[in-house]
Amino acid sequence: MTELREQIENVIASEEVALFMKGTPQFVMCGNSMRALEALRRAGAPVTAVDVLPDPRIRQELSAVSSWPTIPQVFVRGELLGGADIVEELAQSGELEQTLTNKLGPDYRGAAAERVVAVT
Amino acid sequence: MSVERLRGLLEQAFPDSPELSVDDRTGGGDHFQVTVTSTRFDGLPLLEQHRLVNEALAAPLADGTIHELRIKTKGTQ
Repeated sequence: MTELREQIENVIASEEVALFMKGTPQFVMCGNSMRALEALRRAGAPVTAVDVLPDPRIRQELSAVSSWPTIPQVFVRGELLGGADIVEELAQSGELEQTLTNKLGPDYRGAAAERVVAVT
Repeated sequence: MSVERLRGLLEQAFPDSPELSVDDRTGGGDHFQVTVTSTRFDGLPLLEQHRLVNEALAAPLADGTIHELRIKTKGTQ
């Protein structure tokens, strides 16, 4: 079994858009996670979600990796974009779609279905 | 955590701030909206601006005193 931190780093590195959230897209457990998810959905981002709630160590390890204290956290191609406020603000200004286009290419919309991966 | 204490931490970190507001969103002392204007944000990407606020509030974020934080930052330029 791979170490938890390594699994988290793998998700960040390998997923186009990784959303670490409380709950899942089907059952969101926190208002800020919902705000981030909805901003990403509106921008058409290919979201891969990770629920941090099953084990408090997920959140601890994630924050150690990212140096970001709060949940949610959004990564695009391995780089931290920010939390709910930043993602929402970037979405409103149009910068979110621009960033996604720059990093994922102009055809990023619909490139992948929303999905959930677990780390343990 | 009181609004005053949170505001005090932000004032220490952003002593020049012409606009600094703290709103206790639920009245429970753990869900806050903070708005900070500072020259420290000038020229910084949004991510780094929010990092500075998170750093100012590192202790109450780490120990769970702040359960939810919403941040709005503005530079002065």
